[in-house]
Amino acid sequence: MSSATTLSTRSGHASSQEMLHLVLRIGLLPILMAIVIIGTSLLSPYFLGWMNVVNILRMASFLAIIACGQALVIIAGGFDLSVGAVVALASVVTAKAMAAASAAIGGPEIVAIAIGIAAGLGSGIAVGLFNGLCVSMLKVSGFVVTLGTMSAAAGIGLLLTNGIPVYGMPNSFVQAIGRSQFLGFPLAIYIALAVILAMVFVQRRTLFGRYVYAIGGNQEAAVVSGVSIRPHLVGTYVVSGGLAALVGILLTALVGSGQASLGGDAMMLQSIAAAVIGGVSLRGGIGRVEVVAVAALFLTILGNALNLLHIDSRIQPIFLGLIMVLAVALDEFSRRRTARV
Amino acid sequence: MSDANLTATGKAPGLEGKAGGERPSARASGLSFGNTWLRKLALPIALVALLGGFALADDRILTSYNLLNIAQQASYLALFAMAQMVVILTRGFDLSLGPTVSMVSVGAALAMMGMGGGEANGLVVVAAAILAGFALAVACGLFNGVVVALLGVSPLVATLGSMNIAIGVATTISDGRPVQGVPATFSQTFYTGSILGLPIAIVIAIVVGGALAFVLSRTVFGRSLYIIGTNPQAAAVAGIPVKRLLVLAYILCSALAALGALMMTARTGSGEPNLGGTLSLQSIAAAVVGGTSLAGGRGGVATAVLGALFITILSNGMNLTRIDGYVQMIVLGAIVILGVVLDRLRLDTR
Repeated sequence: MSSATTLSTRSGHASSQEMLHLVLRIGLLPILMAIVIIGTSLLSPYFLGWMNVVNILRMASFLAIIACGQALVIIAGGFDLSVGAVVALASVVTAKAMAAASAAIGGPEIVAIAIGIAAGLGSGIAVGLFNGLCVSMLKVSGFVVTLGTMSAAAGIGLLLTNGIPVYGMPNSFVQAIGRSQFLGFPLAIYIALAVILAMVFVQRRTLFGRYVYAIGGNQEAAVVSGVSIRPHLVGTYVVSGGLAALVGILLTALVGSGQASLGGDAMMLQSIAAAVIGGVSLRGGIGRVEVVAVAALFLTILGNALNLLHIDSRIQPIFLGLIMVLAVALDEFSRRRTARV
Repeated sequence: MSDANLTATGKAPGLEGKAGGERPSARASGLSFGNTWLRKLALPIALVALLGGFALADDRILTSYNLLNIAQQASYLALFAMAQMVVILTRGFDLSLGPTVSMVSVGAALAMMGMGGGEANGLVVVAAAILAGFALAVACGLFNGVVVALLGVSPLVATLGSMNIAIGVATTISDGRPVQGVPATFSQTFYTGSILGLPIAIVIAIVVGGALAFVLSRTVFGRSLYIIGTNPQAAAVAGIPVKRLLVLAYILCSALAALGALMMTARTGSGEPNLGGTLSLQSIAAAVVGGTSLAGGRGGVATAVLGALFITILSNGMNLTRIDGYVQMIVLGAIVILGVVLDRLRLDTR
C-alpha cells in the first residue's frame, strides 16, 4: 500500500481524516466484506452454518485459483479471456482421457487418473502456450488473441463431447479429489491455499515474478534493463492456462463427469472482476495475488449472501454490477492523485 | 503500452486520416506508408476470396437471394460493430452492449404492450417503442460514460458492471420471459418494410453508417475522439473536453446498439430478455477483425462494416456448406486471431 502512504503524508494532518487514512491503509475490501458478513449473519441463521461456510470456501477456491492466473497475466499487461473456455476444455479432456485410459489399461486406477490429470493440465498449458506465443512473438493484443482462443477452445470442448457429459472415470478419482475431506474441509480449499502461497512466493521472491512486474510497469524500461520479455510473457499465459485447467479438473472431480458447460463466460468475467477488485491495475505492473484471493472470497460471499437473503435471482446481477463498479471507483478515487492524468 | 511510453513517442495526432488507417499509429510510426494500399485492400480482397471459395463449394452462395440475405444479416452486426468501434477509438470498449440490446428489446416491447399493442394507433406505438428503447440505452451509456470518464474506472470494469446491471434489468422487467405481441406496424418499420427494393435493415445500416462516417471524419466531436484515443494527455493539453466527449461516445455507442436492438426485436417479433447473448464479444471481434485498433485512435465505419461483412459471410458460407456448428466456433476463433496477426504483419513490413 505504498500509494496509500504517499497519500497520507501528502494530505494534511486534520484529525477528521484519520478515518479516511485507516480506510486507505487497510483497503476497502476487508471493510466491505465485514459489512456483508455481519449484515448477512444477522439476517440469516444459515449464513454462518458449517455447511454454508464450507460451501463458500470451496466455491471461492475455484475462483481464487483462476483469478491468481488472471492477475499474473494482467500484471504483465495482458488479458486472458480464454480461462472460462479452458476450464470446460480441461474438464472434457480429463474425463475423456481418464475414461479411455481406465478402459484400455484396466490396471491400478491411479495410472488412469494420472494420465487424465496430465492430459487435462496439458490442454490448459497448450492453450496458454498458444496465447503467450501469439502475444509475445506476433505482438498482438492479448485481449484479441484470447478472444479467439476462447471461441476455439469452447468449440473444441463441445466438438469432443457433442455437448453430452462424459462419464466413465474411475470412481476413486471422484472420491479422492472431488469429495474427500481433510480436517473437515474439502481438498479444493487446500489446493487453492497451496496455489495462492506458491503464487505469492513467485511474485515476491522469484526473478520471474519480479520481471512480470517490471514488464507490466514499463515494457521499454524492462527491455532496456535487459529483461527478456518473450519467455516471461509466455510464462504468464501458461500459468493462467494451467491454473484454469486445474480448476477444470477439480470441478470435474466434484460433479463426477466431464462437461463442456463448466466454466464459461461467467467464470472468465468473474476472474477478471476478482483481479480488478483485488487491486490489480489493468494498466499493468500493480497487483498482489493474496489480495486477489480475498477479492475472490468477497465475490463468492456476496453471491451467497444475496441467495440466502432471498434476493430475487433476476435482481442479483444488478447488485453485483453496482458493487463491482463501486469497489473499483472508490479504490481509484483513493489513489487518484498519484500518477495519472 | 504504458502511458509514459505513449507520451514519449506519440506524435501530435494528425487530422488528415480518413476512416481507414492512413495515419501511422504511435506503434507503427514511420514504417507503414508504403503499405497503405495493401493495408486498405487486404480485407476486401480476403472478402472476395472468401466468397469465391465458398461459391466453388456451393453454388447457392452467389445467388442474388443469398447475397441480399448476407447483406441483411450483416447490417445488424455492422450496427453493433460501429457502436463498439466508437468507444474502441477512445481506447475503451463496451462489454454491456449485448445486455443493452436485451434490455432495449424487452423495454421497447413492454412499452408497446403498455400503449395497447396492435389495437392502438400504429405510429404512437412505434414512437413509444423508440422512446423507451433509446431512453434505456442512453441511461446505460450515460452510466458507462460517467463511470469511465468522471470516476476514472477502467472501461472493462465499468462496462462489466453495467453488463450485469443490464442483464438484471432485462430479466426483471420481463420476468425472464419473452414479451409477445409486437404489433405489425413495428415489424413493418424495422424489419419487413423496404425502400427502393432494399430491405429496411440494409437501408438503416447504410444511412447510419454514412452519418457516422460524416460525424467521425468531418465534425469536431468525431476528430476529437481520434485524438483522445491516440493520446489522451495531448488531447487534454490541447483543450479538448475529454471527459464530456468520452461520456458522449459511450452514449452514442449505446444509442447505436439500441437501434440494432429495435431492428432485431422487429425481426424476432417479440422482446427477448437474452437477445443480446454473445453480441458484446461478437461486436468487438467484428470491429477488431476489420482493423479497428484496441490501442485506440485507429479505425472507422469502414473497418467496422468490413469486419461485420467478413464474419457474416464466413458463417453464412459455413452454414451453407454444412460445417458443424462447433467447428464454426473454432474457425471463428482462428479467424479473429489471424485477422489481428495479419494486421500486425502489415504494420511491421518494412
